[in-house]
Amino acid sequence: MATGLGQSKVNRLAYMYTMPAVVVMAAVVLWPFLYNVAISFSNMNLTHFRDWRIAGFGNYTAVLQDRMFWYFFFKTILWTGLNLVFHVSIGVFLAILLNKNIKGKSLFRTLLILPWAVPQYITALTWRGMFNSEYGAISIMLERWFGFSIPWLTTEWGAFTACLITNIWLGFPFMMIIALGGLQSIPDELYEAADIDGASWRHKLTNITIPLLKPVMVPAITLGVIWTFNNFNVVWLVSNGGEPSDTTHILVSWVYKTGFTYFRFGYAAAFSMIIFGILLLFSWNFIKKTKATEAVY
Amino acid sequence: MLKKQSALLKTSALVLCSILFVLVLSCTGKNPKSIVVWHSLRPLERAVLREALDEFAESHPGWQFSELFYDPETARTNFIISAIGGSGPALLRGANDNIGPLVELGVIQPLDSLLAPAMLDSFLIEPLAANTWFRGRLYQIADRIGNHLCLVYNKALVKKPPQTMNELLEMGRELTKDENGDGRADRYALVWNYTEPFFAAPFIGGYGGWIVDEDFKPTLNTDAVIKAAQFIYDLANVYKIIPPECDYEIANALFKDGLAAMIINGSWSWGTYIDNGIDIGLARIPRIDETGLWPTPAVQPMGYSVNINIKGERLAITLALLKYLTSEKIQLRFTKISGAIPARKTAFASPAVRDNEMVRASLEQLLVGKVTPPVTELRWIWDAMRPGYQAIFTGRKTAVEAARDMQALAEKLIRENRE
Repeated sequence: MATGLGQSKVNRLAYMYTMPAVVVMAAVVLWPFLYNVAISFSNMNLTHFRDWRIAGFGNYTAVLQDRMFWYFFFKTILWTGLNLVFHVSIGVFLAILLNKNIKGKSLFRTLLILPWAVPQYITALTWRGMFNSEYGAISIMLERWFGFSIPWLTTEWGAFTACLITNIWLGFPFMMIIALGGLQSIPDELYEAADIDGASWRHKLTNITIPLLKPVMVPAITLGVIWTFNNFNVVWLVSNGGEPSDTTHILVSWVYKTGFTYFRFGYAAAFSMIIFGILLLFSWNFIKKTKATEAVY
Repeated sequence: MLKKQSALLKTSALVLCSILFVLVLSCTGKNPKSIVVWHSLRPLERAVLREALDEFAESHPGWQFSELFYDPETARTNFIISAIGGSGPALLRGANDNIGPLVELGVIQPLDSLLAPAMLDSFLIEPLAANTWFRGRLYQIADRIGNHLCLVYNKALVKKPPQTMNELLEMGRELTKDENGDGRADRYALVWNYTEPFFAAPFIGGYGGWIVDEDFKPTLNTDAVIKAAQFIYDLANVYKIIPPECDYEIANALFKDGLAAMIINGSWSWGTYIDNGIDIGLARIPRIDETGLWPTPAVQPMGYSVNINIKGERLAITLALLKYLTSEKIQLRFTKISGAIPARKTAFASPAVRDNEMVRASLEQLLVGKVTPPVTELRWIWDAMRPGYQAIFTGRKTAVEAARDMQALAEKLIRENRE
């Protein structure tokens, strides 16, 4: 009995410790989320901003029937997939290089983290300037060295590529740092044993490095997918709000435009709930399939 | 043991409550003695605003006055978000075409019952009403009228500004120069942010049309819109006297660096050019030869609106600040550095305005401009123009297709928001 009472007090203490976090999370995450769910079923727009009422599943049907939703969904998948491929491959490649005993290692490491250290806003606007077809550094170099230039920002896929390049630049340092941490935690003895067994570098890569990097990289990739899928800043700033002609959007930039430029709040809320559902489904499945939360050692 | 745990529990509870208290306080984040003004003024004009706030602060000890810059779209969006959340700046400065949405969202407050009629009578009615009324209530007090586009020319490169588009094309051939022969123009005759609908609108008027009718319905699928869009496209791709790709920042940089002889821009930019040592002149955007009409830039007053959440003593101080910022003295300071047309009758009639060459030229342009109503429909029309109009310059649509799509999108946006 006394032990039970003691246990209960200990539990109360634990609840007290977590209470501030619970209160803050409820205020800044749970309440807005529930509010968003409510208005996603409502007719809230500029005309019915104060006097909105629940109107059923109309907004969800409208989103799923909207051609723009499917178009930007396709673009978002492409955007996320391409970014992740480049982020992970460049990041892991550089991490493997930095994990070796090379001269000036700390200098290279610092330089390679720089894109991540510069505020996204500044990087995006700088790249936008560099992509100008007539005065941008990239166009000038292309023309000088290869005799052609690309109208980056005035064509649909040019602008998409411009956003992609900018985000690859911004995103690889994160993967590099995570991979480097993972590589440094792999015991040298495993490689030494493999050397004794006469394993080639490819065998060591596929049988030691990649499996032992997996538990570190899978959560990083999951986070990377969510961040990239929702990367509003780069797409919005490099394409100047979706230019040309509102074709350079991913789902989140389009939902922002629908909500705060076109004032269709109910529709935008339903749209964001669908995005949330997509990401939840992906993360759940990805973590389950890759068994990322299970121990490896 | 139990006593020790109980003491620990009490201490922890005290610490946690303190943390919560601090958190709640920091979440509210409001200094009751602080008045913030959001605006979109460029650096030179921003300094004038800052100076005015400092002066006002001297007579209001214990109060803090600060200003924050946002570009117009961001200012509007952020203001809406913060005011809905019960916070935001006390004053929002901007063009009056945001008044419709801000009133409909209930984020600004009516001022007609808060300000003396004599004060309101001191603002211009002609050539356009300076203060903005919407649905019978007053929502914006003006600090200038106009906010319209003019042709700005560099006097070192252009002795006499073109009066007609044919003259512009002729001058354009002389002024656009490829000095190193690499096939890329090193200087353009004219630059401006021509892919933005607001900056293309004057040409629509020049061809005899406009973007909205008297019932606030979009009028975008018209010959005037098609011809205006085609003409701008031709300036870049047929006559090649404007750059093939040009946003606001590029246009501004080219003009400031002497790499463009003329620019179409508004009063907010003129001070910056003068500050950069460019001897500028202002003129009307040249007449369209085919119609004989002058292009018609959108004309709007600029001014201050008060956040719905400001009440009590803060409201009294905010209104006092509003009066000060829109006073004759402050308006004339802006006129001096940027050629802005003041909104107070006494300031408008003063020699500082009458004898100012830039203000006179700006007024000339204003007189042929179109006053835009502060209705929400206009916002959707501007937004609906962007995708279709820009598609002309990317080669995805002809001007005819673009006009049809702009009209359809404008009607759709209005319908979706009014249903």
